[in-house]
Amino acid sequence: MVNLNKVPPRHRKQYYLALGLEGSANKLGVGIIKHPLLPQHADSDLSHHCELQILANIRDTYVTPPGEGFLPRDTARHHRNWAVRLVKKALQEAGIKDPTDLDTICFTQGPGMGAPLHSVVVMARTLSLLWDVPLVGVNHCVGHIEMGREITKAENPVVLYVSGGNTQVIAYSENRYRIFGETLDIAIGNCLDRFARTLKIPNEPSPGYNIEQLALKCTNKDQLVELPYTVKGMDLSMSGILGYVDSLAKDLFNKNTKNKLLFDPQTGQQLVTVADLCYSLQENLFAMLVEITERAMAHVNSNQVLIVGGVGCNVRLQEMMASMCRDRSNGQVHATDERFCIDNGVMIAQAGLLQYRMGDAVQDIADTVVTQKFRTDEVYVAWRE
Amino acid sequence: MKGARENQLLHVLHLEVPFETAQQAQIASKVLTPDPILKPQDFHVQYSCKHSVLHLDFESIDDRVLRVGVSSVIESVKTILETIDEFK
Repeated sequence: MVNLNKVPPRHRKQYYLALGLEGSANKLGVGIIKHPLLPQHADSDLSHHCELQILANIRDTYVTPPGEGFLPRDTARHHRNWAVRLVKKALQEAGIKDPTDLDTICFTQGPGMGAPLHSVVVMARTLSLLWDVPLVGVNHCVGHIEMGREITKAENPVVLYVSGGNTQVIAYSENRYRIFGETLDIAIGNCLDRFARTLKIPNEPSPGYNIEQLALKCTNKDQLVELPYTVKGMDLSMSGILGYVDSLAKDLFNKNTKNKLLFDPQTGQQLVTVADLCYSLQENLFAMLVEITERAMAHVNSNQVLIVGGVGCNVRLQEMMASMCRDRSNGQVHATDERFCIDNGVMIAQAGLLQYRMGDAVQDIADTVVTQKFRTDEVYVAWRE
Repeated sequence: MKGARENQLLHVLHLEVPFETAQQAQIASKVLTPDPILKPQDFHVQYSCKHSVLHLDFESIDDRVLRVGVSSVIESVKTILETIDEFK
């Protein structure tokens, strides 16, 4: 059994308040949450049932023109420009007049891009010293997992974490979120984003969103364009698929009629559209994800899947996962919508507050250095049995 | 060897940033201190507080590294100042 009330709320409140600051990629998120102090949390395994109340959830995205990615330096500048204003707005929205009422300030410690992470932690440290509120450094992936568990109430799911920077299949075992399978090269969102760049379509609001919309226009769903299928044991590789589908798209744009996959060799008629390519790419990538997720479920004897991360908003991915789960006994898929799937401050606050309630706040400000590499299984998950 | 290298950090800059109170200057110094320098053999920075003034002492191997390092620290100082201004 776990005692989540180990650290009582500050100032003799009957609830906990946490501020969450997220800025590991191109999204800057500020969230404020509240957990009531409940007697059943003193001796149970209810970390997915905190009766979370979201007081504020604000996000500002650094948007680059279609065909361009975001660079660390520019993203950091964006975060520096907006961070203080967003915190001010979040406090107003949450109706917090005295910020020293906060129990903890949670920030993303990693993984992510170094410069944007650093720009946010500088503000987090300053706030902590100004208000005398303890800091908690949060692993970004654990933030996604805890947010998904609290929203969907999935107790012990296999977690598929798919975003612009990460692709992992995770399951909980003995106080760690253990990685069962992951990408060997690029993340799925990166693969989709970079294909979107080739097509010169924007990457807003989440990785692969516009590809998903284009794929809906595919009229030729029975005839998939054949792409490499690269599952390597429990892991995936996606850079080869990206290179191949990129070259197909370029042939299509340049009207290279020598490509027999795309053009009829006799008549020169176009056989495949951009929408067909998007559809085939999605089907192919998602089938790979479903395969390794199912294998992880069999490993740990679980019948629940929780999809988190920016690509997790993709309805087609959710459908494919659901159809796999239907074929297993009693299987369930849990997913959240864009408010919580896409990077946000609330998820950092949620994971950070759990950590804080277990007595794991930063003691020395020297321990708040951010890091680009921070594996999901490095975090000791004290708040679960 | 180490001494010889340190001696080569000949490009120096001294900055003074005045704050409203000594406590604010100390906050700034505490916020800046934890972050490691990527190439300690090429660049050095020391933070200290005298009353309400934050002193920054930079040493560097050449003027280019100095410029890049100093401007990155100044960006952080700007964030700290804005945060203090808004929430003090």
